Amino acid sequence: MNNSPGESDILAQLAIILSDFGGREFSGEIGPDTMFFGDLGLASIDAIVLGETLEAHYARPLPFAGLMAELGTRAERDLSLGELAAYVNNHW
Amino acid sequence: MPRLKVGELTFHVQQAGSGPDVVLIHGVTGDLSIWYLCRAMESLATRFRVTAFDLRGHGYTDVPKSAYTSADMAGDVLTLMDKVDAPSAHLVGHSFGGVVAMHAAVLAPDRIDSLILSDPYFPALRHLEQLSRWGHWQNFRQEAEDAGVTLSAEFWYDLGKFFDQVVHLDAEKMLKFRHAVGLPTMNRLMRLGKTTCGDDVKEEAGLTTEKIHAVHVPTLALYGEFSPFLATADYLSEHLSDCRSELVPLAQHRAPEENPVAFLAAVERFLVEVTTRSLAESSR
Repeated sequence: MNNSPGESDILAQLAIILSDFGGREFSGEIGPDTMFFGDLGLASIDAIVLGETLEAHYARPLPFAGLMAELGTRAERDLSLGELAAYVNNHW
Repeated sequence: MPRLKVGELTFHVQQAGSGPDVVLIHGVTGDLSIWYLCRAMESLATRFRVTAFDLRGHGYTDVPKSAYTSADMAGDVLTLMDKVDAPSAHLVGHSFGGVVAMHAAVLAPDRIDSLILSDPYFPALRHLEQLSRWGHWQNFRQEAEDAGVTLSAEFWYDLGKFFDQVVHLDAEKMLKFRHAVGLPTMNRLMRLGKTTCGDDVKEEAGLTTEKIHAVHVPTLALYGEFSPFLATADYLSEHLSDCRSELVPLAQHRAPEENPVAFLAAVERFLVEVTTRSLAESSR
């Protein structure tokens, strides 16, 4: 049984982490449509570190390598925080 | 294991899988995310213990003011191998990461099981290459011009000159450059531009032609079909005792990004071949 905290909790947690994430310039509100690279000005290496931070917060491994590999195949290498939250929820 | 103290510096390290050790080394101005984006981290971890790290001055690793030669970074690789209890490892290096991998094989030949060199050129072999003859040079130079930076055909290898230009762009040009390359890349270049990295990486630093010729570990020279450094690929397969070259179709200098499927397939083929050969030899 999937005992994930749910997409909205994960999204809220992402917003908390990203509110104080090194080098971020974005000053708007962080929501499901916020784009990781385009809006937040972050890089793929930041996504990996964010993944670590989420794993530490939830004290469980999350399959970010698969998400990063999928991201590598996209023409526009970007993902929304909503997608990220859904991915974590679906792979709980 | 995201952070490891290696010597005086704290390194950002990622590890996955189990089996024979493979260490992945990215190029200058890059970071370890390249190995995730090309699926190497996920795919190699099914058979190997894969360790990827951010080079000194890159990604989430500390940024010293100096000591960025291939000798310094090869020292980091060997110390990192000590830290993760890897008596020996297969090294996969992209671009300058390939130079670092080669240098590690020179410093500690008994600890390196094989080398996969993805599109490096070597400072000691610079005379082999002339970027102005490369078919994509004009496009490459134009892209840089559009971003406000001038690349010289004569000093194509001089990353120090490039970093200097970036660091000293005026406010208007800096904005143009930032729009062209994106904020993360600009931040990376600004950070490295304040170190000796650009000057250090063009030094031989002891990795002479003689030392390169003496490398005898199984080596794959894996170059893009349209790489600017194909003369180096030919040179390596001619001069190293156990080296073959292979081309990644359609790729230029960044095969892991430009054709990740073919790149990864070549890496996996070679690693399986080398580990199978090694098992057969040890069972004799």
